[in-house]
Amino acid sequence: MHAISKIIARHADRRGVEVGEIVNVVPDYVMLNDRGAARAADLLRKMGGERVFDPERVIVVFDHHYPPIRPQDSISQKKTREWIKEQGIAKFHAGEGIGHVIFPEKGYAFPGALIFGTDSHTVTNSALGCVATGMGHSDVASYLAIGYNWLKVPEVIRFDLYGGFRPGVYAKDIALRIAQLYGEDAAPYLGVEFAGPLVTSMPMSERLVLCNMVIDFGAKTGYIQPDETTARFLAERAPDRRWTAETTDSDRDYGRIVDLNVSEIDPLVAVPHDLSTVRSAADLNDVRIDEAIFGTCTGGRIDDFRVAAALMKGRKLAPHTRMMVNPGSRETFVQAMREGLIDIMVEAGATIGVPGCGPCSGCHQGMLAPAENAITNASRNFRGRFGSPDANAYVASSATVAASAIAGRIVSPAELLAQ
Amino acid sequence: MQIKGKAWTFGRNVNTDLIFPKIWFRPTYEPGEMASHLMVGIDEEFPRKVARGDIIVGGQNFGCGSSREEAAAAMKEAGVAAVVAPSFGRLFTRNAINVGLPIVTSPRIDEEIAQGDEIEIDLAQGTLRNLRSGYVVRLPPMAPESLKLIEDGGIANYTRRVLEERRRAMA
Repeated sequence: MHAISKIIARHADRRGVEVGEIVNVVPDYVMLNDRGAARAADLLRKMGGERVFDPERVIVVFDHHYPPIRPQDSISQKKTREWIKEQGIAKFHAGEGIGHVIFPEKGYAFPGALIFGTDSHTVTNSALGCVATGMGHSDVASYLAIGYNWLKVPEVIRFDLYGGFRPGVYAKDIALRIAQLYGEDAAPYLGVEFAGPLVTSMPMSERLVLCNMVIDFGAKTGYIQPDETTARFLAERAPDRRWTAETTDSDRDYGRIVDLNVSEIDPLVAVPHDLSTVRSAADLNDVRIDEAIFGTCTGGRIDDFRVAAALMKGRKLAPHTRMMVNPGSRETFVQAMREGLIDIMVEAGATIGVPGCGPCSGCHQGMLAPAENAITNASRNFRGRFGSPDANAYVASSATVAASAIAGRIVSPAELLAQ
Repeated sequence: MQIKGKAWTFGRNVNTDLIFPKIWFRPTYEPGEMASHLMVGIDEEFPRKVARGDIIVGGQNFGCGSSREEAAAAMKEAGVAAVVAPSFGRLFTRNAINVGLPIVTSPRIDEEIAQGDEIEIDLAQGTLRNLRSGYVVRLPPMAPESLKLIEDGGIANYTRRVLEERRRAMA
């Protein structure tokens, strides 16, 4: 069995499960974001459920619309606050950042865990060697009522990453390369495991980027085998957490194993309007950038700020370019301030917003006008995702976004690093 | 479960941002409200054009992206009888099953169905027929658990039943 199957089996109270089988599972944690909580509470009532089955396992995060944008958001969040109190839900995080950034930070994600969330990017957590996946609102409402969900055991594809990083290349570029080679449905319904020597040497922040992106290959969950890096991360984040990592029995437990030579990868950019149309940043120098959108559950961690600030230090944004920065979490924000990274970005001309989803998925300030071009370290370049459906979004690494914000057009960060 | 209806065709990688744009999100919906925004990211007139019993046919990776259940729920509410594509986004698949919307996967099916074709689907027998062209294909078997959820009208009905059973057992 693959480790993913073993994790699912354990949460189904079964000795073993087969790929393709549908089983009922009890997750360790279920994350509801502001919208998810409001919808799930409504649907729970409509399903005839009065009490949340196990409030200890429920975590509510306000990240999409916090602070409330419109009066209706305020009303909805007020109702949710009353609801979580009435239901005895104690784990509540408003304005502390994006659910998928704070879950690993606070130790809610851990090896061997099963995590559900009302958001597609819940898969991010799987970098810790757990199974983590997004759910619809009825799904989560049903869980809240009866305490379990149905889950199909996925086949697993493994990407073995080897070679080294060229200057200016990061985990995000690897994810874009996979989208380029195998498409936006590279892994429909599958588990996606990242392995190989390069993953072993990757810090947790970069592993989280890889696993964050698997949803945009169509996957159910990511997976990275827990190792010393994972154990150190957990010891720091959640010293009291007891966990057991599962292991995969053999290479026969994979549907497919793909070798990927990272040494061949340049800084890459997904061009409008889908993730699988990918070009080298160096070939897109003619693309004017009106706005750089920096942050999100893909690129809003402290290492992203370190990379961006190193490139932006002592430089100014191009006169025609604006930059919207939303830290992924409050903790990231505080750390970036302590290290002087926020100063560097503000002095360069960036605008800092609240920790949270920011303009991604059209939540907060920084919307685009028709015919404007944005470059972002978010995961998606869907039409209309950052405002006008006639705007263009380019997806790249944190380094490429920062370098392009300075240049005012798309450039490879390698170009700026060389100066 | 027998389904017959007129096809509306869409392209590849149609994401759920397009099927149900975020600007129409609400914490609770009036009856008919979700249906009134179906597919407006692609065609603003679609909610007025689609009729009960019609079938939506997508290209590869239909319904990819965000977890929003409204994408599938709006189809169900509009009376869409089934959604058909060579492949679907995982969350869309799950949401379709949970709202009781028949979802049918068949390789290259988007090449075999044109706008306005009359389509007949037999879920129990596992066949899809294009009545205009005569094209017939066997469908991969759907997991019995999923078929049952769809036939029961979705996860809400299932959950109600489990809650009632538990209440009876407690009484």
